[in-house]
Amino acid sequence: MIGILQSMAATMKHALDGQTFTVEYPETVPHVSPRFRGVHKFSQERCIWCRQCEIVCPNDTIEIKLDDKRQGEEYNLHIGQCIYCRLCEEVCPVDAIVLTQQFEFTGDTKGDLVYNKEQLKNVPWYKGLDPLASREPTRSAWVGELDGEIDYQ
Amino acid sequence: MITLPLTTQTPLVDAISHLLGLDGSFGLILSAFIAAFLIGNIMLISAGIAGPWAKRKITAVFTDRIAVNRLGPLGLLIIVADAVRLLAKELIVPEGVDRPSWDIAPLILPFSALLGFAVIPMGGPLQLADPETGLVFVFAVASIASVGVVIGGYSSNNKFSMLGGLRAVAMNIAYEIPLIVTAASVVLFAGSLRLSEIVSAQAAPLIVIAGVTIPSWFAFVNPFAFVLFLIANLAEIGRNPFDIPEAPTELVAGYVTEYSSVYFVLFFLGEFLHVFLGGAIIATLFLGGPAAPISSLSFIPGFIWFLLKIWSVFLFTQWMRAAIPRVRIDQMIEIGWKGLLALSFINLILTAILVGVIA
Amino acid sequence: MSSTPASSQKNIVGISKNGTLDYTKLEKLLGPLVLQKEDHVNAPAFVIRPDSVEEALTLLRDEAGFDHLSCVTAQEYEDRFESIYHLRKYDSPQHELGIVVPSPKNNPWNQSACSVFRTADWHEREAYDLVGINYEGHPDLRRILLPDTWQGHPLSLDYDQNKPQLITLQEHENPLRDTDEENTMFINIGPHHPATHGVLHLKTVLDGEHVVSVDPDIGYLHRCEEQMAQGLNYRYQIMPYPDRWDYASAGLLNEWAYARAAEDLVNIEVPEYAEIIRTMGAELCRICAHFLAVGTFALDIYGDFTAIFMYAMRDREIVQSILEDLTGQRMMFNYFRLGGVVWDLPEPRDEFLSKIQKFLDKIPAGIQEYSELMTTNEIFQLRCVGTGILPPDVARQYGVTGPVARGSGIDYDLRRDDPYGYYENLDWNVVTNDGCDIYSRFLVRLGEVEQSAKIIGQCISLLESWPEEDRIIQANVPRTIKPPADAEIYRAVEAAKGELGIYIRSDGTQQPARFKIRSPCFSNLSTLSEMATGGLVPDLIAALGSLDIVLGEVDR
Repeated sequence: MIGILQSMAATMKHALDGQTFTVEYPETVPHVSPRFRGVHKFSQERCIWCRQCEIVCPNDTIEIKLDDKRQGEEYNLHIGQCIYCRLCEEVCPVDAIVLTQQFEFTGDTKGDLVYNKEQLKNVPWYKGLDPLASREPTRSAWVGELDGEIDYQ
Repeated sequence: MITLPLTTQTPLVDAISHLLGLDGSFGLILSAFIAAFLIGNIMLISAGIAGPWAKRKITAVFTDRIAVNRLGPLGLLIIVADAVRLLAKELIVPEGVDRPSWDIAPLILPFSALLGFAVIPMGGPLQLADPETGLVFVFAVASIASVGVVIGGYSSNNKFSMLGGLRAVAMNIAYEIPLIVTAASVVLFAGSLRLSEIVSAQAAPLIVIAGVTIPSWFAFVNPFAFVLFLIANLAEIGRNPFDIPEAPTELVAGYVTEYSSVYFVLFFLGEFLHVFLGGAIIATLFLGGPAAPISSLSFIPGFIWFLLKIWSVFLFTQWMRAAIPRVRIDQMIEIGWKGLLALSFINLILTAILVGVIA
Repeated sequence: MSSTPASSQKNIVGISKNGTLDYTKLEKLLGPLVLQKEDHVNAPAFVIRPDSVEEALTLLRDEAGFDHLSCVTAQEYEDRFESIYHLRKYDSPQHELGIVVPSPKNNPWNQSACSVFRTADWHEREAYDLVGINYEGHPDLRRILLPDTWQGHPLSLDYDQNKPQLITLQEHENPLRDTDEENTMFINIGPHHPATHGVLHLKTVLDGEHVVSVDPDIGYLHRCEEQMAQGLNYRYQIMPYPDRWDYASAGLLNEWAYARAAEDLVNIEVPEYAEIIRTMGAELCRICAHFLAVGTFALDIYGDFTAIFMYAMRDREIVQSILEDLTGQRMMFNYFRLGGVVWDLPEPRDEFLSKIQKFLDKIPAGIQEYSELMTTNEIFQLRCVGTGILPPDVARQYGVTGPVARGSGIDYDLRRDDPYGYYENLDWNVVTNDGCDIYSRFLVRLGEVEQSAKIIGQCISLLESWPEEDRIIQANVPRTIKPPADAEIYRAVEAAKGELGIYIRSDGTQQPARFKIRSPCFSNLSTLSEMATGGLVPDLIAALGSLDIVLGEVDR
């Protein structure tokens, strides 16, 4: 009986302290840590079309099409099947890929969940958060258009 | 040929017939209908608030969450939204259900609970009927509910539902007896089965502490019986730790598994009405009915006090739901037959001796 | 059939004076049964004939003390089929031995090990299902992961992946309808049932409310994880997938299982600093997983989304946000790399470490609250004490590991007994409980949360004081990894649910030729009928909750 009363007291304590741990989502911005891996951002200016990201991608999320001069024609990301492993960002020798903290996106059809290179370039930084500061120092070169050192592996 | 008396014992019906100028047998019947409609609606509104809104809010408070808050002030309009949602759903009739009984079952539950409210004194003139055997009547109609549960469980053609229905019967038999025996001890004190007399028997002062008169509510006179009744009532209305006929994690909601749309709403309403009927019985038997706890507060109408009491019983059931695990079916039967039944008889005998000595 | 606990025997064959295994003595014990000796990276293995499996395993169990059949791996070579029985001892898990059973290509069969180790039942069914080896003498050889009507065996070499499969909807029948128990009712619990923690289907036969028989039907969440890994390269691509086996926050523990096997296969030394980060992350995951286990168990016992579930979620949320700061994701971490971890601790480091410390400081109060809510609650005890009994000898027979084994008094924890990471340099205890019931499993989990907190606390102080110049998070690992052809390894770690083992065979390419996952939940779940038969339906549900299975790991 004492144990039961103890349980009742413990729940009542929670009821009376008036604290909640859930938040009202769209109004309250959830805490997203600087390292969070969200939607992929891609810079065509940087890309050298080496296709390493396409090769490393474990489930064929990245689709690259080259023209007959081996120049990039299309860079499509099937975001619906992306597992956000960040391997593409890791292998990219020219820092053309960065995973932003953006996680809010929708699509009504499967086609909506394929992003082409223009869409990928325009992926916004989540609430103005810049993930680059938390990544390796070389990545800070990403934001400024091609100035700064680029680390070819 | 039955001749109806031209005046009833019940002030509510009389007041309505007087107000609307209805007389004769037909007028009386009509005003009785209006009165019943009034009482029924009060309870339905209570259940309507409790089901979609209060239950969520209370559970959220215990679990540190926010719960509904988007529609209207404090999310109150969720009641409307939920009603529309539930009523607009398709009524799915599963293959192989036993048709007439499957349709009747959801009606029985709210019906039995609403019938019970007919004899509950809710303060002032708010009492539909006050028969001499009021207490017996309440328990009799309240236990019709288990018939509905069994029919629903059996006719659903679902094994989970059937198990739920069978559990409900086992539980009701095990807990109805201690419930009524405990209520009998109250009758010994009050000396009447008439509910209004049980209420007025509790109005006498019990003790005066520092100028505040504590009324002789039976909860204070015999707290042991009160606790017994509270526990047996939890089983009667099927709330934790005795929610085993539904047992979502074992029987997937038991007898309601196959019900959807309007039928589900009826079951849902019936359940909440039963919680409130249980609260009403507790309030009437042990908490002085619609009376104010101290005389200086009696300017607040009795009906408000009555609602407050039944809502606090509802709150208690929700609290138990948050804190207490569900017992197993065999353990519950054991607690019922070996524990509560014995204790309730001991309580009855001791009360009888006590009342005899005082008399 | 009775198992003989190794500890009760006076002379166990095959142990040399310094306590290590003496394989020549073991070979002598098996005598003519041994055809050949193979060298796997983890331990030597004996090749035996397909018709001497029972004899060899019985000898090894009774005379040499190998009482734990941790895994059965089946595979197809160009010229033969092969089953490998990975044996070890509950008392000294570092004593390992493989028994390799080759069988002919045209008629793959070998004797079943079911009569020696009951855990072989499910493992051999899986091998039959995926590879197609027939186990003679197996009591119930039918498919386990795939539907009964499936054509072909997906991991065999001649399997046509493009052939469409026809899955018919079939009605289940009461398996006891023609027996004495004819007044029974067959009921499907699951696959969509709130208490099965995912898509588990229990074919249950009830006599009233009593469970007469229960047969877990798994495979609804089978995602071909093994086959998927066989198509990915060692260096990068496999690592994101372990997160998805036991997806209930135990990601880093799973990643470690793969990392350990692969690193040992190609001899990668992990820097000490990375080991500490790994240890800390893994223990955070364990806390996370145990909170979820406690919360969902409360859900089963209490019903609906009650207070304790939400309190456990709230506590877990804190750990998840710490892990998000560290790894960049809340559940699918992909944080380990072969030879280390991908990121150092986040900057500012002090802030991060003090965040963890703050969480650790709150743990005793949290545990106290759980005890108030559950442990001391009389009704909770009514439900849990003395129900779902799993005696230790039965547990050993079924290859049970993790908190379930430790709740049956089996002192088996790979973190201590087969040390990896930084565990051996830290001060902590293995929590065991002799109750053998649901309650003791629950207590073990709560105790392990405390021990994990202790480990993390020590890791934090190590990380704080680690010399700046020595903070190496990654060993020098080549961009492509090609282990020598025909190298084989079985390595296990202590995951949240028990021994999570990985068997890898390489064929000299960048991708494994066979990748086998020994899932702890898979073995633990096979004990369910042992625990629940004869009890009531609520006990069945509670026993299932106390096993703490994650279907993603059971089905893989």
